[in-house]
Amino acid sequence: MSGTHDRILTSHVGSLVRPDDLLAFIEKQQDGKPYDAAAYEDCLRRSVADVVKKQVEAGVDIVSDGEYGKSISWSRYILDRIGGFEERHDQSPGFRSAVAGKDRRDFAEFYEEYEGAYGFVGMGKAFKTGTWVVTGPIKYTGQALIQRDIEDVKRAVAGSGAIDAFLPLVAPASVVPQRVDEYYKSEEDALFAIAEAMREEYKAVVDAGLIAQIDDAFLASVYDVMVPPKTLADYRKWAEVRIEALNHALKGIPQDRTRYHICWGSWNGPHTNDVPLKDIADLVLRVNTGGYSLEMANPRHEHEWRVWETVKLPEGKYLLPGLVSHATNVVEHPELVAERIVRLAKLVGRERVVASTDCGFAQGPFARRVHPQIMWAKLRALGEGARIATKQLWN
Amino acid sequence: MAQTADRILTTHVGSLVRPPKLVEYIDQMERKQNVDLKAFDALLQQSIDDVVRRQQKAGIDIVSDGEFGKFRSWSFYVLDRLGGIEERDVVAPVGGGKDRSMFPEFYAEYFPTQRLPKRGTVVTVGPVKYTGQAALKKDIDIFKKALEGVDVEGFLPVVAPASAVPMFKNEFYKNEEEAMFAIAEALREEYKTIVDAGLFVQIDDAFLPYMYDVAFAGTDLENFRKWARVRVDALNHALEGIPEEKVRYHICWGSFNTPHVSDVALKDIVDLVLSVKAGAYCIEMGNPRHEHEWRVWETAKLPAGRKLIPGVISHSTNVVEHPELVAERLVRVAKLVGRESILGGTDCGFAQSPHVRRVHESIMWAKLEALAEGARIATRELWGKKAA
Repeated sequence: MSGTHDRILTSHVGSLVRPDDLLAFIEKQQDGKPYDAAAYEDCLRRSVADVVKKQVEAGVDIVSDGEYGKSISWSRYILDRIGGFEERHDQSPGFRSAVAGKDRRDFAEFYEEYEGAYGFVGMGKAFKTGTWVVTGPIKYTGQALIQRDIEDVKRAVAGSGAIDAFLPLVAPASVVPQRVDEYYKSEEDALFAIAEAMREEYKAVVDAGLIAQIDDAFLASVYDVMVPPKTLADYRKWAEVRIEALNHALKGIPQDRTRYHICWGSWNGPHTNDVPLKDIADLVLRVNTGGYSLEMANPRHEHEWRVWETVKLPEGKYLLPGLVSHATNVVEHPELVAERIVRLAKLVGRERVVASTDCGFAQGPFARRVHPQIMWAKLRALGEGARIATKQLWN
Repeated sequence: MAQTADRILTTHVGSLVRPPKLVEYIDQMERKQNVDLKAFDALLQQSIDDVVRRQQKAGIDIVSDGEFGKFRSWSFYVLDRLGGIEERDVVAPVGGGKDRSMFPEFYAEYFPTQRLPKRGTVVTVGPVKYTGQAALKKDIDIFKKALEGVDVEGFLPVVAPASAVPMFKNEFYKNEEEAMFAIAEALREEYKTIVDAGLFVQIDDAFLPYMYDVAFAGTDLENFRKWARVRVDALNHALEGIPEEKVRYHICWGSFNTPHVSDVALKDIVDLVLSVKAGAYCIEMGNPRHEHEWRVWETAKLPAGRKLIPGVISHSTNVVEHPELVAERLVRVAKLVGRESILGGTDCGFAQSPHVRRVHESIMWAKLEALAEGARIATRELWGKKAA
């Protein structure tokens, strides 16, 4: 991925706002209503083709399928693709309480209002799933779905002008983190079983010639849930096991075709109790992927470009810094994008920076962090900023 | 402006989220309903007492009254304080010019969610006079009383001539320019009274840059500059006889959480801005459309004795700025204009009208606290560890 171009390449985190006709199908799916499956597949294929074309037009070099093939959310889509779980509706949904951390306690009134207006993270009704219980051996069952996603994006990319393409996939730590386990002996056993199952998905994507992006928003955001009362050391222990599991999943998969995305949760909240990158950078760098996609555009994490003054990016690895934020409607000025690229490139090397976004723009089919018109303007600003930075860095 | 200190002082742009009870009263009064005026005044005093102390607690050195006493909005409050004008065709605003035309579907969704005060076209129909003496005296008296015994300084934000009547019709004066100067002269009374009372006056002029997008299609820089020149000259006319160091000038590009892609570049207007005879300039640098403009100060020269109050906190996101980021933003500007020449500020107010709220109140305070913390970090970096 790195070192082969004489300019700053652009990408993003993956999810993009879905078109209305596709949403109509997904709504029926989620409501359990009948729909024309062939028409859905056709709509999906056309939508992916269209969104790839639009990404190229906006100046994105390494494109995604917009996560259009995924149900529910960036992480919970996996429930359609994994066996060994059972959904039960006899308990209240666990998701909300599981992410109720310090930020939510410190800004309780804000969160009350925000959730009322947007649904927890803008997921809307699709997020009201039951409790997921492990009742048998965890297995990957999504072979057909992942093949469809691969084919849709490969067909869209052919002849589009895109330099490369990636599919975002969920990391083991972010697979149903609030599960109830009635089968495995320990949490660690379940985690490694999930990792083994996920390897099949990652491998299928890379074998097909695409880049696998491993999404792990839970990894960083769980800190806010645990600490306090627990400590950073406790949290790091928790995270270490998850990173080991991820590396287990990545075994045998070429590093240069994988990238790892973490963020601190994409909701537009205060984020005052996010774990600092400097406290977890070593853990992140342990992940055996070629690229690391990290938030650096929103004002809680923008200053963390300086982490790379002291932390050494290992040989052969590259960064995908977030340079545009989904937490404001204000469109980043291309000069700002360029400034952010250049200062980081001066620390880690210009060949090791791929311009990207803080997070996806639509973490589920019904989520939308900004209006699609603004999303495209932000991606265009990213492309324009990368061109300015290229001029400055290559003269 | 502001005393010389051996640290970075903090302030903000002025408007703060009003307490719900106060908004209820203002709402009723704006609808011409009868309210207990004595009870309103007592609540206003109490609210401003509280907000002054809360600002101090957050670490703000130069505080405002939150604009709690203003009706309608940061600019249109003044229409109740001017004689010789009429307001016609009152409608709800719909937002920007070119920006809106570039993002029509977004604007169609966003604007109806904003509780913006309606406004009309202002028409000069007779000699323009300042008639707001009583209302202004009340603002000043309440604010000064609130400041008693609190170790901070105070500023009162008021509107600039250009922003009092961004688009107006003249039916009385010889020409538009003469009308602008008449409006400026009327407003001088407001500015002077505030300074005479021992407070800083902040002249708010959001419409100055914003009109480039609205009235000049975001493209016609030459005619926009001509338009703006007259307004800046009128403002300087209004400021005649008022000590520069007691005046600060705020510009922004409109505080809406919108794309802002056709905002006029600071570099294209910085000379106009600096020609305003103010001791300090509050300019947006905390949002991603204008953050890169700190570099304007690599070439633009801040006149001797004047100060810059960069916005290092944005109201267009709920994400609270990290104090380290605030410090970084302050230090890089301080290195260009001198550490004695900057104060830490915000991009704009947090509540441009009693009914508008850019972020939740709890987030506003967290942002102001981050500002103060960032200024402390910047102070340590700029003065060396001992000073702080």
